Amino acid sequence: MALPPNFMPLFRASLIGLGLGCSALALAASAQDAPEAEAPAQETQGQAAARAAAADLAAGQDDEPRILEAPAPDARRVYVNDPAHFAAVTQQFVIDGEAGRVIGMIDGGFLPNPVVADDGSFIAHASTVFSRIARGERTDYVEVFDPVTLLPTADIELPDAPRFLVGTYPWMTSLTPDNKTLLFYQFSPAPAVGVVDLEGKAFKRMLDVPDCYHIFPTAPDTFFMHCRDGSLAKVKFGAEGAPEISHSEVFHPEDEFLINHPAYSSKSGRLVWPTYTGKIHQIDLSSGEAKFLPAVEALTEEERAEGWRPGGWQQVAYHRALDRIYLLVDQRDEWRHKTASRFVVVLDAKTGARIAKFEMGHEIDSINVSQDEKPLLYALSTGDKTLYIHDAESGEELRSVNQLGHGPQVITTADMG
Amino acid sequence: MRSCLAACALAAFGATGALAGKATAPSETPLPAAEVAKDAIVVDITKMKYATPEIHVKVGDTVTWINREAMPHNVHFVAGVLDEQALKGPMLKKEQAYSLTFTEAGTYDYHCTPHPFMRGKVVVE
Repeated sequence: MALPPNFMPLFRASLIGLGLGCSALALAASAQDAPEAEAPAQETQGQAAARAAAADLAAGQDDEPRILEAPAPDARRVYVNDPAHFAAVTQQFVIDGEAGRVIGMIDGGFLPNPVVADDGSFIAHASTVFSRIARGERTDYVEVFDPVTLLPTADIELPDAPRFLVGTYPWMTSLTPDNKTLLFYQFSPAPAVGVVDLEGKAFKRMLDVPDCYHIFPTAPDTFFMHCRDGSLAKVKFGAEGAPEISHSEVFHPEDEFLINHPAYSSKSGRLVWPTYTGKIHQIDLSSGEAKFLPAVEALTEEERAEGWRPGGWQQVAYHRALDRIYLLVDQRDEWRHKTASRFVVVLDAKTGARIAKFEMGHEIDSINVSQDEKPLLYALSTGDKTLYIHDAESGEELRSVNQLGHGPQVITTADMG
Repeated sequence: MRSCLAACALAAFGATGALAGKATAPSETPLPAAEVAKDAIVVDITKMKYATPEIHVKVGDTVTWINREAMPHNVHFVAGVLDEQALKGPMLKKEQAYSLTFTEAGTYDYHCTPHPFMRGKVVVE
């Protein structure tokens, strides 16, 4: 059976392809008595695949199982990572956001950190495995994958198990803007950032850094971090020697808590960092120095008085071209900041003006957007294990993809523009 | 960092090894602070800090850390400082103490396992 272009691909699994062939036979038998097919726009993917398979069978076309390739990455490809509630192995789902189709998967170990090159040229993760499932010898490594075949193109071991094992924070492992270097955070025994040369496929070294967290690269040799004292640290590193480190002013008071999932556009250098109350700090790193923009309030005074607060995992998204901020909000107790939210507010990042407030219709833990002209708003429910795909302008739910592992939490897109 | 990050860290907090090449531990387990001798060399731990982050002692001296707050803390010397193996002291609850006797001159850096921003130094002369 030749697979039609819109057939749901299953990668690296030719045996599953054989299984589908058998199913297709059964479907083809019943299809002969079925009424005329629905219009393609109303067809489900399974119905379309069944119709195509029946037609192939009727035409006498043989089934030739093979390993598929994913379509070329585009602006609407979206990645969903499932940390699986701290399970020893995890999964990443590669999804076509336009069609709402799973177009591939990647396996990971314990709490991996996924990264996606903005130009679509590769995907990678920093991962951890053990010699006996969840015990024994620990191996930390970085894997790079071809984004079409999903085959690994590099497997780089990290010496002395330096990865920070933490609920997945996207900016704990980052690509430099030239995509040649991967930087990862080490928490213990001392704050440090590991440098991995992706081009040369080699671990380079650890950089000693101050008591600061997260990694926001702005150049091949420069990144920013957020420090315990409320400042940002700028870290410039060379091939060897101690990095040059400087601190910005303290930009938030000690009782103002910045969330663990800020949004960062490496292409525009914009760092968007909400607090527990929905106050949003924006820092422009595009010049290579931290320029603090006026903070904006995502929630009105009235909403805050009514108990509205941000909450979830990836609570904030930023669209670079539209310069818009999207924030997950709901009415909640102050210390239920990790529970799901049912609403998304949209703000003009420049003025702070409210553009929209969407009722999402589901319990949403993480959001992100595609970076194309008319973006999709991705809304991931960890409880439902479902990615709801909305129109970012109207908030309308367009489609959804379910069965995304055990506890999917992280949405990653490529800014290909 | 003023977020919940530190609370989320999956660090292993168990105690390891009472003996090390350049120091010995009179007791592997924490002792009540009340049992510490009045003339002991003490580093108090309070407000997420080692109160005497750099302490100078003589070879053969015993340094005792006493945690004065509810947040558990320890002392952790990474591999290669006191011995080939790391010395990861037991977590001390409030008013618990842990001691090390330094047997060789040198400067020994340490930190608190779950709070790596807490750092200290013992200079043994």
